[in-house]
Amino acid sequence: MSFKNIVRELRGTRNERNKTIGRRGRSHIAPEGSASSSPSTDECLDQSIWVDLPPELLLDIIHRIESEQTSWPARRDVVACASVCRSWRKMTKEEVLKVPELSGLLTFPISLKQPGPRDAPIQCFIKRERATGIYRLYLGLSPALSGDKSKLLLSAKKVRRATGAEFVVSFSGSDFSRSSSNYVGKLRSNFLGTKFTVYENKPPPVDSNRKLPPSMRVSPWVSSSTHSYNIASILYELNVLRTRGPRRMQCIMHSIPVTSIQEGGEIHYPAEFTNQGKKMKKKKNPLMDFCSGNMGGGESVVKEEPLVLKNKSPRWHEQLQCWCLNFKGRVTVASVKNFQLVAAAAEAGKNMMNIPEEEQERVILQFGKIGKDIFTMDYRYPISAFQAFAICLSSFDTKPVCE
Amino acid sequence: MSKSEKKIVLKSLDNEAFEVEKAVALQSQTIWVMCEDKCVGNEIPLENVTGQILAKVIDYCKKHAVVDGDGDESSEELKNWDTEFTKNMDQSTLFNMILAANYLNIKSLLNLTCQAVADKTKTIDEFHTFLNIENNFTPEEEAQICQENLWAFDD
Repeated sequence: MSFKNIVRELRGTRNERNKTIGRRGRSHIAPEGSASSSPSTDECLDQSIWVDLPPELLLDIIHRIESEQTSWPARRDVVACASVCRSWRKMTKEEVLKVPELSGLLTFPISLKQPGPRDAPIQCFIKRERATGIYRLYLGLSPALSGDKSKLLLSAKKVRRATGAEFVVSFSGSDFSRSSSNYVGKLRSNFLGTKFTVYENKPPPVDSNRKLPPSMRVSPWVSSSTHSYNIASILYELNVLRTRGPRRMQCIMHSIPVTSIQEGGEIHYPAEFTNQGKKMKKKKNPLMDFCSGNMGGGESVVKEEPLVLKNKSPRWHEQLQCWCLNFKGRVTVASVKNFQLVAAAAEAGKNMMNIPEEEQERVILQFGKIGKDIFTMDYRYPISAFQAFAICLSSFDTKPVCE
Repeated sequence: MSKSEKKIVLKSLDNEAFEVEKAVALQSQTIWVMCEDKCVGNEIPLENVTGQILAKVIDYCKKHAVVDGDGDESSEELKNWDTEFTKNMDQSTLFNMILAANYLNIKSLLNLTCQAVADKTKTIDEFHTFLNIENNFTPEEEAQICQENLWAFDD
């Protein structure tokens, strides 16, 4: 079809346009029409008739695009729908698109901060580039199976510090600046590599208490538009005796209440990056503090019990003389890094008996090696792609004391 | 039924009259209801549709009408005809066809034309060139959209 060719050409110009925007920075807006030279003058006379399209018809059109383009790179069309004008954007984001938790689809960068699907995991793979210390997370089964259809989701760059390693996570595959809008968050390790902290970059919470005069609202991040929140701690059990055995890890998800995996439990997440415009649709929201963080310090203090994940204990295979876990074909190479995380069951004295048994068995995050510098990562509700990626990154950081 | 009863006259916004078989016109739920209610005579004024668009709508209805002996058209053929029908439509015709299909309540035509828009407008540039919609975003939204697109095209 000749139309496809036009699309391809247009994509070319689009990329050029992106570059110019990127270089100028966000404060410079290119005058309209200057970026693309294609619209002819006679067409301009018809301008904006589509703006008057009745909403139900617009909804119909966007629904069609959304339901057809479920895999990348065709999924870009949905992103395109949200870039036309305000009414299209609103319709796409608020009426048509469902969150990954329900749809199992990733469409916008914000999807990576929202919890994964409840029914089946989202399957991704990670490529490690040893020379540069860059780790790239792709959507897809594996490089061989997905090929061109794999979509770069997030990238991380390892930075060595005197106190330990740090991974900077970005939406972009090449921009790891922490002041960039591509900055998602970071993972920081302690000196031994036994404890990791995950920080997520988020806009400050919307102040719900409007009665306070502005001067009374004490917020430590007035000058910056975003703030770093401690959303998870990952602990690797110290293996002092250096006996051979699998690693043992524990992830305390400060931003996810344990109630999220109880029956009927849900989790609240950002609908948009900014706090302008409207956010969460649900009205009364006792758990809102979980995602917006508290006002007191840099940590998201949890009022309820946080979700704790622990690795499923492998069993010792007598014949193979090794530790084994059933990865359902997604992991093929034995590695100390492989793991499966499940919700930690009740600890003595803590009120956690409400987690259904099948929830305790359900693998929330699975990570493992399938080739040289290639790993798979499958995650599901209630954790997000970013959280899952951060946990996996911690497994990359060598920790001799844990093995 | 006499011959005249089987025909119906549709009058466009710009007073163009089209005489069509009743079976053709009745694919429009709107016209069907009008005829059922007997609130109109043999001539139906359609105040929202121009002659140019109405002619196309009638073309479509004629093709899709199941009239004597005409109903054995294979679905494959009909599909190809539909594709050809919308293929070279310019955006303003397509737009008006959607509105007409909506007003006349012809479900299959509405499906076809909405699908045509969905097929034609795929990338952002296309939306802006094909639809010619002026974006009305705030600088903040613009920055966010720029980031979303950079991410979507990063691979």
